[in-house]
Order: sequence, then structure tokens, then C-alpha cells
Amino acid sequence: MGEDETMETTASLSRRDFLGLGATLAAALALPARFGPWLSEGLENLARQKTKVLWIQGQACSGCSVSLLNSENPGPVRLVTELISLQYHSTLGAAQGADCVRIIDQVGRLDDYILVCEGSIPTTVRSACMIAGKTLYERLEPLVKQARYVLALGSCAAFGGIPAAEGNPTGAVGVGEFMRLVGARRRGRLVNAPLCPSHPKSIVGTLVHLAGPGYPDVDPELFTPLMFYRHSTHDRCPRYHDYARKVFASHFGDDHGCLFKLGCLGPLTRTQCPSRQWNGGVNWCIRAAAPCIGCASPDFARRRDFPFYRKGENHHAVDYDDHDRGGANDATP
Amino acid sequence: MPEHVSISPLTRIEGHLAIHTDVARTADNGWRVTAARCEGEMFRGFEAILRGRDPLDAQQITQRICGVCPISHGLASVMAQEAAYGIEPSPNGRLAQNLILAANYIQSHIVHFYHLAALDFVDITAVLAYTGKDRTLQELKTWVQTSIDRKDLFPAAPFLPRYDGAYATDVEANCRLIGSYAEAFAMRRLAHEMAAVFGAKLPHSTALVPGGCTQPVTGERILAYRSRLDRLRRFCETVYLPDVLAVAGLFPDGWRQGRGQANFLSFGVFREENDQPWIPAGAVIDGRWQQLDIAAITEDATCARFAGDHPEHPADSHTTVAADKPGAYSWVKAPRYRGHPMEVGPLARMMVALAAPGPNRITSALQPVLNAHGISADQLNSTLGRHLVRPLETLWLIERAAAWLDALRPGSPPARDFALPAHATGVGLTEAPRGALGHWLRIADHRIATYQCVVPTTWNCSPRDGAGRPGPVEHALVGTRIADPDNPLEAARVVRAFDPCLACAVH
Repeated sequence: MGEDETMETTASLSRRDFLGLGATLAAALALPARFGPWLSEGLENLARQKTKVLWIQGQACSGCSVSLLNSENPGPVRLVTELISLQYHSTLGAAQGADCVRIIDQVGRLDDYILVCEGSIPTTVRSACMIAGKTLYERLEPLVKQARYVLALGSCAAFGGIPAAEGNPTGAVGVGEFMRLVGARRRGRLVNAPLCPSHPKSIVGTLVHLAGPGYPDVDPELFTPLMFYRHSTHDRCPRYHDYARKVFASHFGDDHGCLFKLGCLGPLTRTQCPSRQWNGGVNWCIRAAAPCIGCASPDFARRRDFPFYRKGENHHAVDYDDHDRGGANDATP
Repeated sequence: MPEHVSISPLTRIEGHLAIHTDVARTADNGWRVTAARCEGEMFRGFEAILRGRDPLDAQQITQRICGVCPISHGLASVMAQEAAYGIEPSPNGRLAQNLILAANYIQSHIVHFYHLAALDFVDITAVLAYTGKDRTLQELKTWVQTSIDRKDLFPAAPFLPRYDGAYATDVEANCRLIGSYAEAFAMRRLAHEMAAVFGAKLPHSTALVPGGCTQPVTGERILAYRSRLDRLRRFCETVYLPDVLAVAGLFPDGWRQGRGQANFLSFGVFREENDQPWIPAGAVIDGRWQQLDIAAITEDATCARFAGDHPEHPADSHTTVAADKPGAYSWVKAPRYRGHPMEVGPLARMMVALAAPGPNRITSALQPVLNAHGISADQLNSTLGRHLVRPLETLWLIERAAAWLDALRPGSPPARDFALPAHATGVGLTEAPRGALGHWLRIADHRIATYQCVVPTTWNCSPRDGAGRPGPVEHALVGTRIADPDNPLEAARVVRAFDPCLACAVH
């Protein structure tokens, strides 16, 4: 009943096992081979509980947690047991009631832990997210100051996402903005791993990198690790040739051509979706003829007048500017 | 001497929930719950965020209400839009929508039993006594032992600490269930892959659109789905259902715990050719079946943190934050049907089908199972009953999904095109794995004018209404016997059997 035959070996992992795991992970993440030994170190630090992980959910849908469980090589059993030293997770952990607060408080005082945040944080209506009688705002403030690293998972935690979209009734913000508000240092500590939900390979890859080689190279404004968020989806799109030849799909379900005229936001969105795909490589948006909705973008869902799709009849009601959508000069941001 | 027992937060559900109970001493030195409150502790404001947007955005935005059942929200939104645009999905589109939803049901039910609920019954430390040859169990044993020997801050976290209490004692039974827990991770992932075959990606499908889905139907896609479906069928037949029956055998008290008000509601789900849902719609009040009448649905915000203190129909209701309103204790509103709190979910779907006039597929499939295990239909209204109906529903759904796959026509359009009206209204009614789900949409000047969602856990975890009637979970908790007020494991079992999803309930 093992889950990932390719990778699951024995529980008492040796140094050599970790080297093997690191190399496999580097390959799975499409990183250069030199990352292998670094990632091995990260895996070992996590597995030996040198680096602990505290996972806090805010205004979240749990989609990023569910996405973590879609991880392969390593698979979820090994992840939540041996590999990531997960101290607290409100969806997966056995703890409930007072134990939860005890764990959060005790781990929260340590020096070497990674704080994983899923979901946004309400800053005006602070009671819009409560954990055991305290607001998320109160619980999170000491943690974002104390943690060695802060990993904001998914577009809500990274940039505010849908809760922070126009209309935002709770004053929802992403973790980076929250850290700025409470005066926590971001440089060298905050990593954003957007996408809706975050991709299992980004989650695992970033955690392991933080625990081993340490803080990755990030975009200086977006705090996104460049190893995962460098290229636009459009640049590596399998339908790029259709775009170049100006062959465009005309309606939903039309599999012939580039999806740009249906509203595809691939030019504005930096992900590894074209190479990683989703759900074990079974499918992904563009392959399924579904336009990219820009779910990794800092502006994801942000503006009411910037819809996901372009559909002829309502063009007068919304702002359909090609340039806004990154299409005027085939630009990648 | 405690008079109040709280579980705050109540974890291993989706989202932020706290349970507060009043308890009284019993003659046998235990405690009994005399009243309970369900507090939904998170709010984002989806309905406010949707206002003024392009209607086509809605199925993408509303999927983000919940990462566990995004497809149900996407589909409810797609159905509301299809009604507003005056179209029906193409034949392939309807089947593909059913197949994506079926895959998400299967993954949701598996996650619920193993990864959310099972740790209330299974003793994870039993793995330390494991002597067999299964590699996963051997690895888990070494991991737990190492963590204890190393004196980790929280050994075997996140599986410990936990409430003390009466977990299963038999090592073999525990180890079998722990092995299944591990295998279920791979199985739920397989179900998500299956959903992505037509849904592009999970969680949060981008392929689901009004009129069908964007993914063209090909032989390769059908095979990709079918091979995974066959594997899941084997798992559900040989592991999932036997495991739930084993837990029922070990905890027979569960048949007497968590009895609900016995009012059940189903909106019906899985549209077939004649537009009739495969699992029927209807309501059961005081044991009597009645046809679904959506005009009878109201939402009451008396005890919720929103303005308003009288029942409103979802099509006309508003969501205005009043965080500090006196008497309000939850972000969840109180939906009512003809004024009654209603239980929704797999048990409700089954009870509505059983009570419906005339024969139907659910009744003919359920009765033999009940007979074989000596369970009466009335006993299903309990904590164990809620657990048992999920694997049964999963197995029937797998059977039905195979027929939907057979009906797909490779090459035929996966979606039907449509024109966007300037002004329109539409309602989308379906069933999420957790129960009845409705989206109410009104379009004006090409934009969303109002959008309201009434969601399964809004029904189940609703607070009291203006008449003081408790919600279904609040009611089901009353009478629960708690051995140790510091470790109210028994109360947690009652709540978790409903599979609460708080992100959904307070969207």
C-alpha cells in the first residue's frame, strides 16, 4: 500500500537517502542538477526537526492544503510525516481545542521555524477571522516577526487574492502587506508562492529550499522565487505557434488556436504551468482549451472591470484593451 | 465543576469553527450536553465582491469559496448562468460536468472519512506495536518511534497531541485503518486527477463553463478517466466501505449519537438527459416527503454578524456586515425551509430518496445493504449513519459515472455557445458533497447586480434563528455524553460526521 513507489524507501533515512531524494526533487522541479545536494540538506533539516513548519490558515478555502496533498515524489504521507516536520495544520492535524493554541504558542517562540500562511488576513473587520477567541491579526503578528522565514502560499496569502478583490468588505490583505503593516522585516524572510491554488511542486520546492540552501533568489517587488516564477505562461505556451500565425479559438470548447481572444491572461502570468501542468501531468488549463485566468498574478481577480474572459456581446460593458492584457506588442512583463 | 465545554477551534474540518456547549452531570459520573452553539469564525464577502463584475467571472470566483468542493460551486454558478442565458449544455458538456463533479465527490468523501474523521476513532500510536511486513506501516512505526526517542517538542506531530479518550484498542484493527489512511491519500489524489481529465486542474477547474466544458472529448480522455475510476472502484469496494463498517462495529454507540431533527433537504444532483437529477430533489419534514419548493427558503441573520433580523428569500437578501451586533455569535446565517432548520448532505439525499413516492435507484440499492448489516433506515440518523452513507453513495456514483463515460461522443462539441444578455436572472441548484447548494444570480446592464449563495454548511452549522430554533448540528449535539470535559472527543465526533465546511458556510 505504498504511495509513490519511485521514492518511498525506508523511514530511518540515511545521508545517502537524502542525497537521492534531493536529486529526485531537483529533477521533479526541473532545477539544475547542482540544486540536488542543496535540496538534500533542506530535506534532512526538515526531517530531523531542525526546521519546523507551522501552518496557519486565514481567510482561505483550504485549496492550497488540498493541493499539497496532490504532491507526488515525495507523496503526501511522507510529506506530512517525515519530511516537513509539520507541527500544526488545522485540517490535517489531530489536535483540537486548547492543544492548538499550545502548539502555536510554543512553536511560535522558537527561532528556527518556517511559518506557512494560507489565505488572506482581514485588517479592518478583524473579527472576520478568529482562532480560539483571538483574531487572526493578533495571532499572526508575533509569528510573522519571530519566524525564520514566512511562506505565503497561494494568491490570497501572497497578494490578497479574491478576498482583497475590489469591494473587499473585510480589509483583506496578503501576508506581505500585513508584515509591512505590523513592521515585520520582509527582505530575506518573506517568500510568496502564488497561484490559485499554489502548485504542489512550488510548495514542496520552496519549503525544502528554505530549510536547506536558505532564502531563494526572489523578484524584488513580488517576493516570488525566480526558480519557479520567471517566465510567462505565454512564452512557453504550446499554442504559441497559433498565436504567431494569428489562429485564434472563437468560443469555449473550440480547441483550434490560441486562446487569447477568449481572454487568456497567459502573457501577464508568470508560472511553470506549461512544463509542470497539473494533477500529475494529467492536464492543465491551456491543454484543456481553457483560457489562463491569471491566477498567479498579483492582480488576479482584482478589478471589477477586468474580467477573466472576453465574450463578444459584452465588450461595451467592460474594458477590453489588448494592451491591458499584454497582447499589444506580444509583451511579457 | 465545568458547566461549559468548548472545542475552539474544532479542527479537521474545512475552515474556522468553534463549538460551545452547556453540560450537566449525569448519574454515571459523566457529562451530558444540554445546549450547543456553532460559531462560524471566518468571513470574506464573496457576494459583495461579485457585485458589478462580468457574470462569466462568477464560476471562477465562486469556486474559490471552497478548495474542497470547488466544482459544486462552479457548477451551481454555471447552472445559474445557463438559466440566465437561456441555454442548456451540449450533451457531451452535461456528461463532462457530471464526470468532473463525480470525481470531486469521490475525493471529498474519501478525504472526509480518512483524513478528517478517522483520527477520532483510530489510535495512531498503535503503529508502534506493528509487527507485519507492510512497508508504509513499518516506515510510520519507525518515524513515530524516532520522534519519541529524539524527544521532539511535539512527538509525531501533527498526529499528536490529541484528545485523550476511547480510541480503538485492537492493534490489528488500528494498523489496518492506519494503512488505509495512507493509501487513501493516493486514492484521493487519483480522484483529483480524474476530475482534471475534463476539468483542466483541481482544485479550481478552469475548464468548467456555461454550456459544458472547454475540454474536447477524445478517446484518450475517456480512457484516462476510466482507468482511474476502475482503480477507485476497487479501493471503495475492498477498503473504504469495509473500513467504515469496521469502525461502526468498534463504536456501536455511534448509532445512538448525533440524532438530528429528522428534517432533510436535497436539491437533487447530476443532471441527466431529461434534465432530471440522478439523485432526486425534495424535502422531508416530520417524516413526510414533499416536493422541493425553492420559494420556501429563507435566510435569517438574527444571530449572525450581519444586519437584519427577519427572514428573507435568498434572491432578495443582502449581506451587510454588522460584526458587533448584540446577540450575534456566528458569521453563518440561518437558512430555513418553511421555517424549519434542515439537515443537508449525503444522509439527507438518501432520506429524501427513501421517502420519495415511487421506486428509485437509491432505495433499491440501499435496502439490501441495510438488511445485510441489520440496520434500520431510522438508525441512519446518527453519527455512524452519516459516515456509512458516504461510501455507499461513492460506490453508486462510480457505477453511474461509468455509464456517463460510455455515453460521451468523441468529437462532438464539449460546450454550447451562447449570447450574453444585458438583463437576466438565473438560479443554479445542485448538491455539493456536503449537501444542498444554491446560487441566485441577477444580471443588470451586463454586470452582476446581485449574487447570493446558500451553502450546505450554512444549513447544517446555522446558528439560532429569530424564533430561537437551533441549527441541525447544534440540535444533534444535545444529549451527547462526554466522559471527560477536558477531552470532549465524543462531541467532536458528532460535529465532524456532518463534514462541516466553514469556508463554504461563510463565503
